[in-house]
Formats: sequence, structure tokens, C-alpha cells
Amino acid sequence: MFRTMFDSDVTTFSPMGRLHQIEYAQEAVKQGGATLGLRSDEHVVIAGLLRQTKKLSGHQPKLFVIDDHMAVSIAGLTADARLLIKYMRTECLNNKYVFDSPLQVATLVADLADKAQSHTQDYSSRPYGVGLLVAGYDKSGPHLFETSPSGSAYDFRAQAIGARSQSARTYLERHYETFADASLEELITHALTALRETAGDTELTAENASIMIVGKDTPAHELAADDIAARLAALGGGAAAEDDAANDDDEGTNENPNA
Amino acid sequence: MQRTQQPIVTGTSVLGIKFDGGVMVAADTLGSYGSLARFRDLRRVRQAGEYTLLGGSGDYMDFEAMLEYVDELLLEDTTLDAPPSYTPRELHQYLARIYYNKRSEFDPLWNQLVVGGVRDGDVFLGYVDLQGTHYEDETVATGYGSYIARPLLREAYRDDLTEAEARKVLEDAMRVLFYRDARTINRIQIGVATEAGGIDISEPFELETDWTVGIRKH
Amino acid sequence: MSSIGTGYDLSSTTYSPDGRVFQVEYASKAVDNSGTAVGIRVSDGVVFGVEKLLISPMLLHGSNRRVSTIGRHIGVASSGLVADARALINRGNQEANAWKSTYGEEISVKVLTERLASFAQVYTLYGGVRPFGCALLLGSWTEAAGPQLYMIQPSGEAYGYFGVAVGKGKAACKTDIEKLDLESMTCEEAVVEIAKMIHSVHDSDKDKEYELELSWVCRASGGRHQLVPAELRDSALAIATAESSDDDSSSDDD
Repeated sequence: MFRTMFDSDVTTFSPMGRLHQIEYAQEAVKQGGATLGLRSDEHVVIAGLLRQTKKLSGHQPKLFVIDDHMAVSIAGLTADARLLIKYMRTECLNNKYVFDSPLQVATLVADLADKAQSHTQDYSSRPYGVGLLVAGYDKSGPHLFETSPSGSAYDFRAQAIGARSQSARTYLERHYETFADASLEELITHALTALRETAGDTELTAENASIMIVGKDTPAHELAADDIAARLAALGGGAAAEDDAANDDDEGTNENPNA
Repeated sequence: MQRTQQPIVTGTSVLGIKFDGGVMVAADTLGSYGSLARFRDLRRVRQAGEYTLLGGSGDYMDFEAMLEYVDELLLEDTTLDAPPSYTPRELHQYLARIYYNKRSEFDPLWNQLVVGGVRDGDVFLGYVDLQGTHYEDETVATGYGSYIARPLLREAYRDDLTEAEARKVLEDAMRVLFYRDARTINRIQIGVATEAGGIDISEPFELETDWTVGIRKH
Repeated sequence: MSSIGTGYDLSSTTYSPDGRVFQVEYASKAVDNSGTAVGIRVSDGVVFGVEKLLISPMLLHGSNRRVSTIGRHIGVASSGLVADARALINRGNQEANAWKSTYGEEISVKVLTERLASFAQVYTLYGGVRPFGCALLLGSWTEAAGPQLYMIQPSGEAYGYFGVAVGKGKAACKTDIEKLDLESMTCEEAVVEIAKMIHSVHDSDKDKEYELELSWVCRASGGRHQLVPAELRDSALAIATAESSDDDSSSDDD
């Protein structure tokens, strides 16, 4: 009930030691369209459910290539994401210039998290309203990280964020122990199956599903639309909400600026 | 502002050569003050991190400053789970950027460097200098050695050179330099980098020399 | 809570009529709500243990460490907001670097603690910023100074300790530490004690799964901060787990 007193800026702690502004920023991530990622010992696959903000517009992209060895998917404010993506691309280019080698994914993610943290301790700025899944492959192997507005970052075998992501997480948690040895084909199938859990009544199609792959001897690239269509056809049967009870979020409105 | 216009205490040639499975770097331990043989025990073959050998000729203080830059870089890279991950190849590029940057500010670090090391089967040997010039090669030599010793190293180099053969090649070349370069002493160090053995830099030792050729016989 | 609704607790630039700065106290709550971190100073070094709560079973083991290193010789265990702790640790690394390039030797943990505490204190003074929502335990071992252990609080206060615990289980851990004979204990023994402590304060009904992080900086590690070797960690964990199941069966828990 006292929440409203303590939640109007990011430099005020609540009596429980919480920072509500950060939690609200994380809410923007939860409202964003779902995205998920999973990795084997050789590859990382990220997938996103694209939204169409207006009837006449195209689908908003959610997955972006950062460098040959790295890609991200986003959930939350697209404009904030664009800023972070630009930062990540610049850092990768700088590393190429200075060391003539690809930037270590963990290093970039730590820098990204520090950047996010600096927006949580100063009255004059707001936290970023976007969560990222960072997929990459470097000399220490494949990586899948999640970064959040709070400035924390986590190293995952599989993870899903965004609207209705709980059902995808439930799916991934049931299968993640098999991912380490899975083939790339199997990873993609798992990704599409998990993504379908987040789609609700919407049918998963080659237009609204997006997939990126990066891994050993595999530069980051998007899976072609007809490739996705073929795989979806092979999976069969449209929307399959296995356990609706697990869904914790409303579907985003059509005018939502979040991706 | 007065910037660096000349080196002060200097070290002369550094030589480097690859062999089958590793690299080897050699330098003497003299620090010259102009033509004066001023310091007799300056170590100019050093280790950076777990995998890289750095040899430097030119200004000795600039060489030490460079070692500090590298140490700071490696410190940032240290985690509890893994040793610093920069490879010799990456450090070579990093040094090239630093040296080019400094020279572009008209404030060069007055060195010619030899960078060598092995990481994940990649045997690397390279050169960086005060202008930012950098390259990679099977043999490298700085300073006077680039005129006198480099041709000897090139001639001796083979893909399948053994460590013992490489050591002999470097010792012979260092001996020639001692005969012909007035800024040397016959007290040298040799550093070796291999995948299995990591980095091993010898204590300074004396080269056997033979001056009989110079003694006139009647 | 009497402070709430008075209006004296919305900014760290405001004192309450009885002279308290509530925002700083609330920041400390962020630490109290976090996984327990313990540091103890024994004869041959300092040992840290952290109860890292796991937000998901799909997290990689050994990732997102709550123990980290400043320079190579100062161990840090953190409690509270992880991102804040990292910001403070980054600052610590800058201080350590600056000291080293000026004086050519490693910064002492005492000086580092003082500098970081001053840095944290500044964030309790102004309206535009907030205090750090974290506490740091800092430890080192050198031949000259022996083991050293300090703790920095969100308020910017810092003290040296023989043993210290922060986070959810701090009260129980403190009681346990006070029972130990720290002067004669070795790091290897301390590892087991910490494993037992953290295992016993972990509330498996209320809290998520946890991972025990153990690190030390001691004579055996040559004054470098390192993770406790895997074998020792596993055996300490095994002892801790075995003992707690004994406790459960005899139910003489407090």
C-alpha cells in the first residue's frame, strides 16, 4: 500500500530493500514478445515470436546478428534494444581492431551488465526496459546468456523470457538435460516446439517465427523462412498450448511498442 | 610539451625463431647509455601471462612501461575459473595498436619487440616496433640483428627444426652479433615457449667466444 | 515499521527526527534478504563461503559467481544486489591498479577497504544517487600481515573481523563462528565449518536451490585468491549434508 511512495524513482529503496523502478523495468521485459534460447556443446539456437504492431506493418524483428560469432534476441522496449545492439556491435568491432580476434561473449555480457547497472543508481536516468538473450560461440565454447534491466546476467543451458515465456520455460526445463549432446536439427525442433507454447491462440508460421543459429564453424545467421515453414509443417498441428495454467502474462496489445 | 625524441638506456638486438612445436627468443642483458656499457643485468626477455614471451630492444624504461600495460590487461582478464585467455597472437595485435597509437601522438614507446608463444597448437612469432609496424614470421630480429642475424636465421630455418637445433642457431647468431655489434655483451638469456612446457626463460649465461681469428700471426 | 509514511524515509538526504537515515537502512535490507555470505579468518588464511541461490535449474553450474577477486590477492564475497556489488568491485580493481602503478606493489586489503568504504559512503550523501544495496567481505593473506578480513556495509562503514556473516542466515552463522577456535584453526578445517554453517542456514522449504561457493586466500595458495579445490569442496559438502541429516533424525535442532 505504501508502494506508490517508494516506486517513483530508481534511487529510492523500499522499506523491504527493493527497487521498484527496476522491477517495473523488468515488467517491460515480461510484456515483450517471447524469445528463447538453448544450446548444445557445439551450437546455440535462439528463437523469437514476432509481433505485428499494426495491421499494415510487417513483423517487428526480434533477433539480430552482432558479429560472426554472436547474435541476440530481445524482449522489451525495441528502441532500448537498438541502443544496446549498437553498443555490442561496436565493442565487437573494437575487439577485432585491438586484438584481431572475436570478443569473448562473457566479457561483452559483463560489460553490458555493468552498463545496465549504471542506469539503476542515478536519478537522472532510467533502467533499460529490455532483456536480452545473447547467443555466441568463442574459444571457450558455446554460450547463452540472459541480461536484465537490473544489471544482472546469467549463464544458461536454456532460457525463455517475455510474454507467456513460462510455458516455454516449463518445456525447456523438462528437456534441457538432453540438450548438451543434441544435434543442431534437434535443437531447432526443440526451439520451435517451445516457441509454439508461447504463441497461445496464434498459429506459429514462417512469418511470425524467427530463428538464429551460431556455433562451431557456423557463423551467426537467420534460418530462412521456407526452412522454418518446412520444419513447422514437419512438427504438424497448429497452436498447441500444452499447459495454459502455466501462462502468467496477458497477450500484449496490438499497439504495444514492445517487441 | 617535450615528447620522447630519443631512447636513453637501450638494449640491442632481440632474436626470435620458430621450431617444431614452439618458439625461442634470445637477447643479451646489457643496458647501454649511449656508447657506455652502463647496466650489465637488464633482463629483456620476459613473460607476459601464461603463454607469451616478450623480448624488447630500444629504450629499457619504455619496455618496462609496456610490460605494465600488458600486466594490467591480463589482470582484467583474470577470473577464478580460468587463467587469462589472451593468446600470443592477440597480445601481438594489442601491442601493435598501442605502439601505433603512441607514435600517432608523436610520443612513441621507443622499442622494437619480439612477441612469441604457443596457444592451442598455434605457434606464433611476431614483431612490433615504435612506429606500429607489425608482422608475423618464422624468424624475427630487431635492431642491428635485423641486418646481421636475420639472414642467418632465415637460412637456418626449417619447418622441422628441433628445439636443440633452434637453440644452436640462436646462440651462433648471438655470437656473431657479439663480434660485430659494439652494444652487446656475451651474457645472454634464451626464452622458450612450447605447448607442453609453457614458458621457460633461462638465467643469463655466457657465450663461448673465440678471438683467435683476430690475432695476427707472423 | 514506524519509519514508513512519515516522509522521512524517501531520500538519503533526509534525516528522521531521531537522527536516522532510513534510505541507508533500507539499502541494508537488500543485503539482509540475500543469500548468506560468510568469511572467517584463521591461522593460515581467510576462507569465504557463499550460499548462491539459483533462479533456475537451467543455469550453468559455476556461473555468475558471488565470490570474485580484486587484483590477484584480495578475495571478495558479496551479498545483496549482485549488480551493485560488481560495480563496487570494478571500482576496487581500478583502485588496486592505480596503487600498483604508483607504488609498484599490491594494495593492502586495509587501504582498499578504506577507499571502497569512502566511495560507498559518498552514495549515501546526495539526492541524485542511492546507496549500494550490497555488502562486501574482503580478505587477504600476506607473509608480513598474515590473514586479514574486512566487511563494507551499504552505509560506508567498514570494520576488520575475525569472522563475519551477512545475508539471510547471518545470525545463526555468527553464533556458529563464535564457537570456533579461530586462532588454532586451519583453512582446510574452516572450509568444512563454513560448508556446515551455510548448509544448515539454507532454508530448502522457502528458498530456491542453492550452490555453495567456497574460496580462500591463504598460505597454501601463495596469497592468491582461489576457489577451494574441487575435492576439498565436495568432501566438505558431503560432511555438511551428512551432519544435517543426522540432525533431522534426532531433531535436536534449535
